[in-house]
Amino acid sequence: MKIKKFSIAISAASIMAVASICSPAYSAGKTLTVVLSEEPDIVDPCEATRSNVGRIVKQNVSETLVEIDPKDGSIKARLATSWKQTDNLTWEFNIRKGVKFHDGEDLNAKAVVKSINRALNPKYDCEIRTKFFGNMSVSVSAVGSHTISVKTKAPQPIMPALMGTMTVVSPNTQEAKGVRNPQGTGPYVFDKWTPGQSVTLKRFSGYWGSKPVVEDVKYVFRKESAVRSAMVKTGEADIAPNIAVQDATDSKMDFSYFNSETARLRIDTSIAPLNDIRVRKAMNLAIDLEALRGSIFAEGVMPQTQIVVPSINGHNPSLKPWKYNLNEAKKLVAAAKADGVPVGKEIILIGRLGIYPNSTEAMEAMHAMLTEAGFNIKIKMMETAGWLNFLSRPYAEDRGPMLLQGQHDNNNGDAVFSMYNKYACKGAQSTTCDAKVDAGIKAATAATGDNRRKIWQEVQRRLHQDIVPDVQMFHMVGFSRVNPRINFTPSISTNSELQVSQVKFN
Amino acid sequence: MKKYLSKRILSSLLAVIGLFIMVFFLARLTGDPGHLYLPIDAPLEVRKEFSEKHGFNDPIYVQFGRFVGDLVNGDLGYSLRKERPAIDVVLEAIPITLSLAAVAMTIALFGAIIIGSLAAYRPNGIFDRISRVVSLTAASAPDFWVAITAILLFSVSLRWLPTSGMGDFPYWIMPVSILVIRPLGLLVQVVRGSMITALSSDFVKTARAKGVKEKSVIFKHALRNGLLPVITVAGDQAAAIANGAVIVETIFGWPGIGKLMIDSILQRDFAVVQASILITAIVILSINIIIDIAYATLDPRIRHK
Repeated sequence: MKIKKFSIAISAASIMAVASICSPAYSAGKTLTVVLSEEPDIVDPCEATRSNVGRIVKQNVSETLVEIDPKDGSIKARLATSWKQTDNLTWEFNIRKGVKFHDGEDLNAKAVVKSINRALNPKYDCEIRTKFFGNMSVSVSAVGSHTISVKTKAPQPIMPALMGTMTVVSPNTQEAKGVRNPQGTGPYVFDKWTPGQSVTLKRFSGYWGSKPVVEDVKYVFRKESAVRSAMVKTGEADIAPNIAVQDATDSKMDFSYFNSETARLRIDTSIAPLNDIRVRKAMNLAIDLEALRGSIFAEGVMPQTQIVVPSINGHNPSLKPWKYNLNEAKKLVAAAKADGVPVGKEIILIGRLGIYPNSTEAMEAMHAMLTEAGFNIKIKMMETAGWLNFLSRPYAEDRGPMLLQGQHDNNNGDAVFSMYNKYACKGAQSTTCDAKVDAGIKAATAATGDNRRKIWQEVQRRLHQDIVPDVQMFHMVGFSRVNPRINFTPSISTNSELQVSQVKFN
Repeated sequence: MKKYLSKRILSSLLAVIGLFIMVFFLARLTGDPGHLYLPIDAPLEVRKEFSEKHGFNDPIYVQFGRFVGDLVNGDLGYSLRKERPAIDVVLEAIPITLSLAAVAMTIALFGAIIIGSLAAYRPNGIFDRISRVVSLTAASAPDFWVAITAILLFSVSLRWLPTSGMGDFPYWIMPVSILVIRPLGLLVQVVRGSMITALSSDFVKTARAKGVKEKSVIFKHALRNGLLPVITVAGDQAAAIANGAVIVETIFGWPGIGKLMIDSILQRDFAVVQASILITAIVILSINIIIDIAYATLDPRIRHK
């Protein structure tokens, strides 16, 4: 009896003690707390195309010469005030005057040239170079105190858009190696990085633009989406970009938005039976996208007709998504079979675990739909490392017919960042080849203005209607949770950057 | 005892060397790190240039020679991802895991000894039955589920504890509790079993006959003899936590060695994989040696073998 009483007393005392001692650190004042899914390995602005680096440094610590408007893909001035093409191979950018780096250096043509050359230095595996400038020969020079000239060997009409990826760092930044304390011109100074725990930024008093409201920013890292959303719910954090659909349960805090990702199954059009267009069309007709939407995929996803989202230059809005029609799919399969196409041959569907939420379930559902239409599909779900072996050239000579689960992200303003790589005969990740598509990609890449947009749109039409290199799925949505104490609306660009200067307090 | 210890240390060293060679070759079987390091859209030329620059396309024996040479000079390599010496990255993570493991195992061990001994005192009594059900449930509860449920209950609903993160006392409560649950459940079962055997032994009967106090019979005479299997299981559990409390580290945002190891394997950051496995192996082998010493201290038959 004594033991029982003692136990009850101890338990009650423990609970009360815990309740009184524990007071979680709630986000308060003019400090903004952002919880990200992954800690960056390095915070060099040259790696800002990686979302976990970009969300911290891009346009906060280090700015670009221009920036791309997420609403319509148009190009706006940032560190460059104007730009013009002086000949086919040359662009000139006028640099903003009166701007200082965080370490006190002046922003001028020489500093910008040094920063661009650092990013393009092959001794440094900077992601901006490897992703956007890998195949390009570029030389940059100062042609005035605040004017730079950018020359390429082949015409680059989208050079301004490319400069939207090029973050500018102080001339004192070390060469050929990533830095852990970047110095840029942005509204926030990089303050402190406690590995494994947090990164903090402080407002830059010498910023050239308007003074942001947020004084300090703290980034913390939690891999689990449920924890990130719980942190905003409890007030420990203010913004959790990229939470899972099942955690986006509070309509007052959760925002859904197109995240510039497009999901598809890539069809290897070079191998039978997938080299027959009837088979490829049948696959698209066999997928009931409406059944997938709101169940395995989020309610807000949009059936896609092309690999670029509507805000990207070159998107063709006149194309209509494939409509589910199982009978028609079966008829096409039967017609192909009658002509000797081996439609019963085993087709491997290579999936990637976690490429998007419910990726395995999506493949299982599509497997069932394709099987119902008469295909012999076998799923192989892989980790990223294994999946990458099937993504890019060189492909195995003796490979069989294959579908590859994929998701492509382009929020860089123009279709050029997608089309060659994915659909040109020699594209690194292309498994299709069509002379007209190749000619279109070449012509659009060299064209400007309306003409460029029209050529891209024709390429999209031909791919969608005449080539059918994909089982088209959805333009995807992302979810972010935002604490009601702040005023911030996530957008397509939240996928790669998070401009703290746009955040206000309610 | 000295001879016994030297033999154990020598065999442990050989095991570490064998493990290290195995890790080197197994890691390279997974493929080229450039595939994961470079962006998906990186052109083929860039991929080739990357592999050449970092020596990933050299024959495996050349890479191994380079690795052994560096190792002889005390260099465990450079993290491709973090652009820092791999050993620095690992030495930042290991104290976090070890402190979690130490606190969790101390609580689990003492808790198990008290609960297990009391349960064994009256087998099939009410306390024994309750402790058996609770400890079996605890031993089989999935960490992930318990952790998320605890966050939803104690952080989101009751607002008593922070959801996650490192900091002062409140930040330790949930991660340590989750880590304690499984070893505590297992150890209670082991203590109970070995104490039931010990309490029915002749020497306990003799002690009781001599009028020794019951508390002293349980915690002095019986417990000392019943501790041997407990030490073995506790050692295994401690090694498992030291090897990486991955789920707790991942969910609560504690950047320990388990999380680091998994991340570096997934990213093919070979130098960090090697350094973290080496350090973890040393920790685990040290734990095993401590267990052996404890065993030898408690059981004279082992010392004299």
